[in-house]
Amino acid sequence: MSGAGNREAVFPTRQSLGLMKAKLKGAQTGHDLLKRKSEALTKRFREITRRIDEAKRKMGRVMQIAAFSLAEVTYAVGGNIGYQVQESAKSARFRIRTKQENVSGVFLPAFESYTTEGNSDFGLTGLGKGGQQVQRCRETYARAVETLVELASLQTAFVILDEVIKVVNRRVNAIEHVQNKKQRDTAAQDVEMKLRREAAEKAGDDKENETSGGDLLGDEEDADVIF
Amino acid sequence: MEGLFFNVNNGYIEGIVRGYRNGLLTGQNYSNLTQCETIDDLKLQLGPAYGDFLASLPPNPSTSTLAAKATDKLISEFRYIQANAVGSLAKFMEYLTYGYMIDNVALLITGTLHERDTRELLERCHPLGWFETMPVLCVATNIEELYNSVLIETPLAAYFKGSLSHQDLDELNIEIIRNTLYKNYLEDFYQFVNSDPDMAGTPTAEVMTEILEFEADRRAINITLNSFGTELSKGSRKKLYPSFGRLYPEGSLMLSRADDIEGVRLAVEGVSDYKTYFDAAGMGQSSTGAGNMSGGAGNEGKGLEDMFYQKEMEISKSAFTQQFTYAIVYAWVKLREQEIRNITWIAECIAQNQKDRIGNYISVF
Repeated sequence: MSGAGNREAVFPTRQSLGLMKAKLKGAQTGHDLLKRKSEALTKRFREITRRIDEAKRKMGRVMQIAAFSLAEVTYAVGGNIGYQVQESAKSARFRIRTKQENVSGVFLPAFESYTTEGNSDFGLTGLGKGGQQVQRCRETYARAVETLVELASLQTAFVILDEVIKVVNRRVNAIEHVQNKKQRDTAAQDVEMKLRREAAEKAGDDKENETSGGDLLGDEEDADVIF
Repeated sequence: MEGLFFNVNNGYIEGIVRGYRNGLLTGQNYSNLTQCETIDDLKLQLGPAYGDFLASLPPNPSTSTLAAKATDKLISEFRYIQANAVGSLAKFMEYLTYGYMIDNVALLITGTLHERDTRELLERCHPLGWFETMPVLCVATNIEELYNSVLIETPLAAYFKGSLSHQDLDELNIEIIRNTLYKNYLEDFYQFVNSDPDMAGTPTAEVMTEILEFEADRRAINITLNSFGTELSKGSRKKLYPSFGRLYPEGSLMLSRADDIEGVRLAVEGVSDYKTYFDAAGMGQSSTGAGNMSGGAGNEGKGLEDMFYQKEMEISKSAFTQQFTYAIVYAWVKLREQEIRNITWIAECIAQNQKDRIGNYISVF
């Protein structure tokens, strides 16, 4: 519970007791704040995990439909149009922009998809036959990519949040179990010392110095202090 | 009379093609295919028809390799017939390949425009559309050179001449070039079957006229439907309609003015067949659900393109009721192509576990 290792390297004076108390108070406030942050992040984290689950399931369905619509195109056109589409596509129709979202001091990047209007590079593909299938396939795949973007956004947030939550939790735990304790112990020892010193003062002025000197280094007496 | 000397030159080929036609998958075969659980089962079921060609496939092949192998069979059979064809039949078969050549040339032009390594493009070309001077297309590095020295040497030169300049190659959308070429090709083919002394007035001309007219109408209708909502203007759209067919000239004119599906429906009203298709496809009343098999949207019944395919197959099938005609070669190629599409479709449905749509193939035998 306590010992020389659990003590801040300060002399047990009245001034340092005050300092220590202030420090303890600060640490406790910080701890509370961090704890709250960690909780907020965890809440968010859970929500994201749930949404990733949903998005992944949706992904499976959407991708299946998209792959099948490609099969329809192959059937209707009666050949491979992949090369032609690749060659006639000049600029991206489906684009994403990133924005940042602030969740308790953590910046999470979010991807947002949008389509540029009036851009149909291969609008004429399959003019002779199968054009409608090509367009429909394109729409289906645009939906699939939309889901993909959503998923990517969530997963990025997931990774970042995971990291941040780990760091915050580590700090919370550190304060809770190490730093706080040290300060608490130091403060407690000092309080005890003060009490003892006052008792010693009552008993006699000449003995005072010896007692306090011995107490400062001794461990055995401090062991009983429990908060 | 026209049948009197037909067998001297073409009897053997007619026999072979009829044999090939009997080798086409029947409705019974298709229903067996749709029962398959895996691609391997499918491969097994295709064994009697495609045995040699599918034998080298690894277990559970992808649908595209399956389709490629099936196409290989068509090509090797076609090559055999072509090698045995003489006289006007040989010419007729050359005409058959021009359609594929147009696709290949369009591919190569696209590649050249984007400065791709044209050698890799050659691998993507359809083997039926292969012509001797095609690899030379790779030599050209810019579009002007391509036009002036290379395209002029191809069998398609006549289709370029007069309707496309080298500036057009650069500026026009490749789809428009392709469809312009195809229009010229159809008109030329139509001209050929109706004027060649060996064919004019024979069942060949009769059947081929029906097939080509249908093809021309189908293209005109499809182009119109597919051009809604694109930058293709009505004027340039009109240039893509072949100048024959059952819709020509009144229907074509109305098509060129059509603004929506309702307009197209009005344009084809004069031809009862197409009118029936439009009514059956439920187009004209509602603007949605155009075309076949809308993905997941639950379009009941068959779409317009499905019915066109169906009609094409029926015409092709009935071509075999005539004797002493070249048209059976054309019909056989079309039937075989549809068969490959059907197989690919069924394989795709099996591979993607979409069994509810597996019956969407077209079988006429």
